[in-house]
Amino acid sequence: MPLWLREHSWRQTLTAVYLSLPLRGARATPANIFCSEQYLKVSIPPFLFEAILYAPIDDTNSTAKIGNGNIFFTLYKKEPAMWDSLTLANADKEKLQYLRENAVLKAHEKAKEETEAKKITKQEHKKYALEATMKVEEAERKRIEDLKEKERQKVAKELELWKNQQKNGDKYKSLQKKGELHQKPEPLKERKSEKIDKTRIPNEGTSKTRLKSTKGHGSCSIFSQNLKEEHLPAPRAAATIKVNFTPRVFPTALRESRVAEEEEWLHKQAEARRIINSDLSELEDLKEEEKNPDWLKDKGNKMFAMGDYLGAVNAYNLAVRLNNKLPLLYLNRAACHLKLRNLHKAIEDSSKALELLTPPVPANENARVKAHVRRGTAFCQLELYTEGLQDYEAALKIDPRNKNIEKDAEKIRHLIQGTMQIS
Amino acid sequence: MSAVVGAERPQVVSHVQQALNYTVFECKWVPRSARLLCLGSAARGTGLIQLYELHGARLELLREIEKPKPIKCGTFGATSLQQRYLATGDFDGNLHIWNLEAPEIPVYSVKGHKEIINSIDGVGGLGIGEGAPEIVTGSRDGTVKVWDPRQKDTPVANMEPVQGESKRDCWTVAFGNAYNQEERVVCAGYDNGDIKLFDLKTMSLRWETNIKNGVCSVEFDRKDINMNKLVATSLEGKFHVFDMRTQHPTKGFASVSEKAQKSTIWQVRHLPQNRDVFMTSGGSGSLHLWKYEYPAQRCKKDSEGSEMGVAGSVSLLQNVTLSTQPISSLDWSPDKKGLCVCGAFDQTVRVLIVTKLNKI
Repeated sequence: MPLWLREHSWRQTLTAVYLSLPLRGARATPANIFCSEQYLKVSIPPFLFEAILYAPIDDTNSTAKIGNGNIFFTLYKKEPAMWDSLTLANADKEKLQYLRENAVLKAHEKAKEETEAKKITKQEHKKYALEATMKVEEAERKRIEDLKEKERQKVAKELELWKNQQKNGDKYKSLQKKGELHQKPEPLKERKSEKIDKTRIPNEGTSKTRLKSTKGHGSCSIFSQNLKEEHLPAPRAAATIKVNFTPRVFPTALRESRVAEEEEWLHKQAEARRIINSDLSELEDLKEEEKNPDWLKDKGNKMFAMGDYLGAVNAYNLAVRLNNKLPLLYLNRAACHLKLRNLHKAIEDSSKALELLTPPVPANENARVKAHVRRGTAFCQLELYTEGLQDYEAALKIDPRNKNIEKDAEKIRHLIQGTMQIS
Repeated sequence: MSAVVGAERPQVVSHVQQALNYTVFECKWVPRSARLLCLGSAARGTGLIQLYELHGARLELLREIEKPKPIKCGTFGATSLQQRYLATGDFDGNLHIWNLEAPEIPVYSVKGHKEIINSIDGVGGLGIGEGAPEIVTGSRDGTVKVWDPRQKDTPVANMEPVQGESKRDCWTVAFGNAYNQEERVVCAGYDNGDIKLFDLKTMSLRWETNIKNGVCSVEFDRKDINMNKLVATSLEGKFHVFDMRTQHPTKGFASVSEKAQKSTIWQVRHLPQNRDVFMTSGGSGSLHLWKYEYPAQRCKKDSEGSEMGVAGSVSLLQNVTLSTQPISSLDWSPDKKGLCVCGAFDQTVRVLIVTKLNKI
């Protein structure tokens, strides 16, 4: 049960009501105060004060001042009139309840409206800002367009001027030219050219139409042009120059170089796949899938992964009998032999793999690195350190960024130096 | 690279754009006029020559000529100013010279090559230079042939691969060094990056080099002077400027190279009015305007005492992107400074004006 605060005091004027509510030690915040048109509530648990006001007030403008253990309300009446009392005296429970709910609802609506209004104003502000920036940009663009347009027009005018000059200048020149070309007396020429004028579409129109007017100039220029003609040297004596093109390190221009090699490699691979050494009688005993070198290779890889090295070797052997041109088979078999410590066989297989991995292209880089590393390892385990080092260095050349290979190469170098010192 | 002040930089203004309904391979100004020619290939596999005239802000089609084979390249270089005959190379290896007023029958015709003629150049005409007018064609069959319009059927010079050796496509040819009646050189660029310089007076190979990437375009800065500079452009956005005044016995000519853009540089053209300014057009539809600056000393002595050229530097004056497709051909107007036409593979031909070239 809340504790009702009843010791309030109030006074009024025609337009306002002043209500003072002592708080009995409780601390109030704005959140505790709830006010609507005709309902006022202050709830600071466990204290409670509520009042159904005598007449409606303007709750947006009314204020409440919190301080000194007191709340001081300034309520502006909606209608200026003197109230008989602060609260409605004959308020029964139901009416109270109804009023309360109403008040709450009203407050909600008000809050909503306020947020709506806020949103709208915000949007309008944004819009306005946007329009302003658009206008500014538009103006800028227009300015640039105008500049461009002006430039264009200026230039176009100059062009027209030049064209007209051309036409006028051409008069005299063209007449001379016509004279030289045909080398006939002037009047005849003119008639001919006039005829030509009428029948043909005048693409060289300007020069021809002028012929009528300018007569005199032709004669002298005919002769000068004639002289010039004679000065032209005779056609050259025919000769042939043989050319060589740049010798090819790469078959084609720089940007195409690797394509050729890659294609060779792919071609080789494709061929290798097609070879099937099918002359073995035991083949009939095998199942279909066991005749496929790829399947066998996969089988071998699985067995290697599980640690069954002998089984893997068998698988690879069979695969090699079927197709002895796949470098990967030899490569993997070399790895198995390493694990089985068949070092000589490992070296043999790595060598064969490397042989098959020509031409050296980026596509088979990985395989070549592995082959070199495996052969190198085998050499080292046979204590042929110099050969091993050679292989490691070859691997490093192909893939300089591999730290493991680098470390191993260093180890071998130290070993070599160690043994040399001893011996 | 020296910087040019922003407000004073040459601007490339697009004056007219004309959409075509065929692929245009070459566009050329008709000398001494405001007319231009577009050469190309129609969709039905025939060749087209269209003659346009510049009227204000638009191009007016004056003439359209159709030929049985698509036309790849053309030049006015070997005709006199009054005749203005057009020499064209087509996809079938034929060289024709046309009188545009009577285009039904060519003035000169020869089946010069077995495969498409990629590039053509002419010298000795248009009042420029001295000596006999000659035309050079470079073809995919690896040969470069020089023709004299007065001699039928056989070329006056033939640069072909040694018997038995496999050939490389010749992509571009250019004349140069035609400063008197005897001297002339032909420069040819091939698809494997070879550049070869043939001397026609001595009928020998004067110099060769390899710039690693296929050579799309070569041009001397002037055809009719003692060889001064040669620009060679290639795939992968690089171009080289060679200083041709000093040839070292082993090192050849000095050069400076510049990587302009990531795409192929299709064409280089020098400004007729200023031989140190040139424009390159790229596969990304862009045009770059460059200026070459000579070094303080153009040649110096090397350790053995033989003369060696010194290459200068190239600076970018302006660049602009006009199209999404490569701009395959470019031509400056010989009559109006700064006026140029370019044709791109998006089937448009554009007339451009480059401003402020006087201030360079």
